[in-house]
Amino acid sequence: MSEQTTVAVLGYGTMGAGIAQVCAQAGLETLVVEAAQEPLAAGQRRLEAFLAEGVRRGKVDEAEREATLARIRRTTDLADCAGVDVAIEAVVEDLAVKRALLGRLGEVVGADTLVATNTSALSVTELARAYAYPERVGGLHFFNPAPLMALVEVVVAIDTSDETTAALTAFAEQIGKQPVTTKDRPGFLVNRLLMPYLNQALQAYDDGIASARDVDAAVELGLGYPMGPLTLLDLIGLDNHEHATSAAYEQTKDPDFAPPPLLSRMVDAGRLGRKSGRGLRVGVES
Amino acid sequence: MTQALNVGVLGAGTMGVGIAVTVARAGHAVTVRDPDAERVEHGVVQVRRFLDRSVELGKLDAAVRDAALAGLRGTTELGDLAACDVVIEAIFEDVELKARTFGELDAICPETTLFHTNTSTLSVTAIAAGSRLPERVVGTHYCNPAPLMKLVEVVKGRRTSEDAFARTLAFVEGLGKTAVVTEDVPGFLVNLFLVPFENDCIRALEAGMGTVESIDTAVRLALGYPMGPFTLMDIVGMDVHKAVSMSLYRQLRKPRFAPPPLVDRMISAGHLGRKTGQGFYTYEEAGLMGT
Repeated sequence: MSEQTTVAVLGYGTMGAGIAQVCAQAGLETLVVEAAQEPLAAGQRRLEAFLAEGVRRGKVDEAEREATLARIRRTTDLADCAGVDVAIEAVVEDLAVKRALLGRLGEVVGADTLVATNTSALSVTELARAYAYPERVGGLHFFNPAPLMALVEVVVAIDTSDETTAALTAFAEQIGKQPVTTKDRPGFLVNRLLMPYLNQALQAYDDGIASARDVDAAVELGLGYPMGPLTLLDLIGLDNHEHATSAAYEQTKDPDFAPPPLLSRMVDAGRLGRKSGRGLRVGVES
Repeated sequence: MTQALNVGVLGAGTMGVGIAVTVARAGHAVTVRDPDAERVEHGVVQVRRFLDRSVELGKLDAAVRDAALAGLRGTTELGDLAACDVVIEAIFEDVELKARTFGELDAICPETTLFHTNTSTLSVTAIAAGSRLPERVVGTHYCNPAPLMKLVEVVKGRRTSEDAFARTLAFVEGLGKTAVVTEDVPGFLVNLFLVPFENDCIRALEAGMGTVESIDTAVRLALGYPMGPFTLMDIVGMDVHKAVSMSLYRQLRKPRFAPPPLVDRMISAGHLGRKTGQGFYTYEEAGLMGT
C-alpha cells in the first residue's frame, strides 16, 4: 500500500472519529460514512476538538491540523466507498447493525478492498460472514483514544486469509501503529487479560478488603500502572465494561468474566463513571 | 512517632536489606539480624553501598547517610534486638518459621515492641498467633525494591490492636511511604491482582493468543503497564512465581491463581528467568537482575 491508499471509516462516533484522525494524520485520503447528517456533524466536531487540543498541547502544528482536516471527506452515501483500498467499520457494537452494513458494503466494493472491523466484543468471524468476501475481513481493534494509543490488535478470524492478515498488519504500521496479531476469541488479547482483573478488583472492593482509594493507590504505587482499576472502570464506563465482560462470559462461561453484582447495580443506578459524573471514584471522593 | 526509634530487621536478604535502607534513611537506628554471619556482613555492606550510591547520585544528603550508617549494626543474635521499639521480619516465607520467631522475640523484647511481618502471601493472623501478644503484630508489606517503591500495604490481623495498628501507620508514613490499609486476605491487594494476571498472560500464551513479545508489547502499549508480564516474571523468577501462585491458590482455591502447566515445564527445564540466563526470554549474562 502506498501514500495513495484511500480509506473509508464507517461510523463517526468516538472510535470512528479517532480512527479517521489517525488515518488522515498519516497522510491517507479518508472518507467518513455516517447514516445521517447529524452524526456526521457531531463526529466532525469531536475530531476537530481533539485536533485542536493536540495543537494546544503542542503535539500537532497548525499546518498538520489543516492538512489532516483537508484529507477527510464526509458522506451519508455508502456507495461513495466504491474503489477505496481499506474500509474500517466502527459503528455501534450491535451484531445486526454491523452485519447489515457489511452486507451492503459488499455490494459497493470488491474483493480488492481490505475490510476491517473495530469490534471489541463481537465475533469477527460472524461479522465477516456477512460480507461478500469473508477472507478479506479481519479485526483492527483500536484503543480509545485512538490517536494517542499506539497499539492495534490485528484479529485473525476463521476465514481471514494470510494475505489479508499481512495486509492489515502492514496497514496498521502505515498509519503509525504497533500491530499485534491475535485470534478471534472473546476479548482478543488485551481485553481477555484486562477484564478478569477489573472484575476481580471490583469484587475485592465490594468485599471490603480495602477502600476504593486504597485499591487504586496499591495498584498505582505498588505496580506502577498508570491508573488504578476503579479509576479505569470509571473512565471506560461501567456500562461499557458490563457489556464487554458479559459478552465474554456468555461465550466462555468462564466465571472470571462474569460481571460482579456491584457492577450491574451501579449500572442500574445510572452510576456509569466519568460520563455520568458519578461512578466508583468519580463524584464520590470526600 | 517522629523521634528516632530502635528498629530491628530480621533477615538480610533482598527485602531485609531494602527495608533496612528505608528505615535507616528515615533517621532510625537499625539492627539487621540474620542467623548466618556471612549474610549479616553482606547485608550491612549492601545497605552501606545503597546509601553511598544515593549520595553519589545526589538523591541523599551525605549527613543523612552518615547518621544512618552511625546507627546501623549487624548481628546474628536475636538477643541484640532487646531494645527495639519495632522489629520487622523479612525472613523466609514460611508461616511456622515466622510465627516461631515472634514467639522467641516475646522473651526478648518489651511488651510495647511492635512486631511487623513483611509477608507477601501468608496470613498475618497465622503469623501473629506465634506471639503471646498477637495484638502487637501487624503486616507491613513493602514492595521490591523497598527503598524506591512508595507503597506499603499495612495489614490488620484478626487480633491486631487498634493501638498497634495506629502506631504502625504512623511509623510507615514516617518512612516517607504511602500506606494502604488492607484486610488480612491472601495476597493483600498488590499480589492479589498481579499474580492471577500473570497466570492469565501465561494461559493466553499457551492458547496461542500471542507470543511472549507481542503479549508484553500489548500490555505495555494498551494498558500502560511499566513492564510486560513475561519481562517481569523473568526478573522475579519462575520458581518464585510458582511458590507465590501456589500459596495463593492453596488459600483462595480459585483457578486463576493456579500456575499453568508451562510454569512447571519451564522450572523442569531450568528456565527460571534472568538468574539462569533463560526464561521467557534469553539473556546473555546469567544473574543480571533488573534492579
